[in-house]
Amino acid sequence: MGGCGCPGSKMMAFDRDETTEGPAVSSPSQLRQWPVQLHLVSPQAPYFQGADVLLAADCTAFAMGDFHSEWLKGKSLAIACPKLDSEQETYVEKLKLLMEESMINTLTVLIMQVPCCRGLLGHAARALKESSRKVPVRAVVVSLQGEILQDEWLEG
Amino acid sequence: MRPANPGKLVPMSAGPDEGAAPEGTVNEHLRTPIRDIIARFPQVGALLEAHGIGCVPCSLGTCALGDIVDIHNLSPEAERELMTAVGALVAPGEPVVLKARTTTAQKKGFSPPMKTLVAEHRLILRFIALVPAISDSLDLGREADRLLVAASVDFIRNYADRFHHAKEEDLLFARFDRESDILKVMYEDHANGRARVKAAVEALERRDRVGVAEKLAGYTEILKQHIRKEDDILYPWMDRKLSTREVGELYAAFRKLDDEYGEKAARYEAFVRSLEEKFASNDAEVA
Repeated sequence: MGGCGCPGSKMMAFDRDETTEGPAVSSPSQLRQWPVQLHLVSPQAPYFQGADVLLAADCTAFAMGDFHSEWLKGKSLAIACPKLDSEQETYVEKLKLLMEESMINTLTVLIMQVPCCRGLLGHAARALKESSRKVPVRAVVVSLQGEILQDEWLEG
Repeated sequence: MRPANPGKLVPMSAGPDEGAAPEGTVNEHLRTPIRDIIARFPQVGALLEAHGIGCVPCSLGTCALGDIVDIHNLSPEAERELMTAVGALVAPGEPVVLKARTTTAQKKGFSPPMKTLVAEHRLILRFIALVPAISDSLDLGREADRLLVAASVDFIRNYADRFHHAKEEDLLFARFDRESDILKVMYEDHANGRARVKAAVEALERRDRVGVAEKLAGYTEILKQHIRKEDDILYPWMDRKLSTREVGELYAAFRKLDDEYGEKAARYEAFVRSLEEKFASNDAEVA
């Protein structure tokens, strides 16, 4: 896969200045549920009712230094990989159920900048389009080094 | 008014606890109403204009300089350029210290609830654009024209005010400090608009054609400026301040209000469309 030119699989190394570490205190986890994988979560779970939901591509949590404190805090979580996961049609159905039946408040979709990650945003956009109940959907694109490249709201 | 010698200026969009400026310098100027600063240093008005900040024509001018710079969300480079120039005018030779900024990407476009309000503005502006034609053709001796004014007042009161301004005042503004300078300006605009409409109704009852035309023109002028302030300054600022949770709550509250209002919104849109067709065909006949 590394030789096909796909940006999602291309080998890269980042130089980090190890003297610019964050605060020495440990950062508490903001995760408040289990499971988290989109195939495993139930849209009917109580922690999704009326919640602000974060749908995060698997890699985002590793790319972002502030994933827990800035993005996961106060939200219920589902994670997925639009490149490697199978049976993704069920993802669209689950997202629709979250919007229609769990009456979620908002959906924030956090994806990497690599092209394959757009698929996850596509699932969310399709669920929103097909859902009888509309919710604000925020699309956030993260660079390989954890910077926010794009942050916008989808049309309902 | 401030004392003649304003003291040192350390321009920065910082609150009183930032601690980066010498005591008695930054807060004194950043908390000064912009009208006082412009009155003493008229070139500051031109500097603000050059950065797209239109404080000079504001009838109130009570907003503090620091809030104005914060609300307009200039790029770090533009803010440094502006505040350096303001500092050079107001306190020459004093240091300029700007607040450190994070470099996260700015959100593109409005959030869904703000988009709703902006879309409602578009319909109100379409109506406002028709008011001169309505006034020009007005003959209050004709029942049809009296009904047209009454229908226009109904649009203003029930769509622009009861429906749209209720979303703003009861739901959106309620999440912010009602006593803030910028919201005081917005509430005052709403109140002034209502007063003009009330006066237009009174003129209609007297069958005073000139009075109706003048009051409706006054209303449209207030609303045009008001909508520009909201679309260009207030809403972008509020959108940056709202949390994701609040965006979702506002969106749900607006949709509930839309559902309660039912088909009336569509009827008001049809009303504006019918006026556009009527006055477009009148123009064609004249041409």
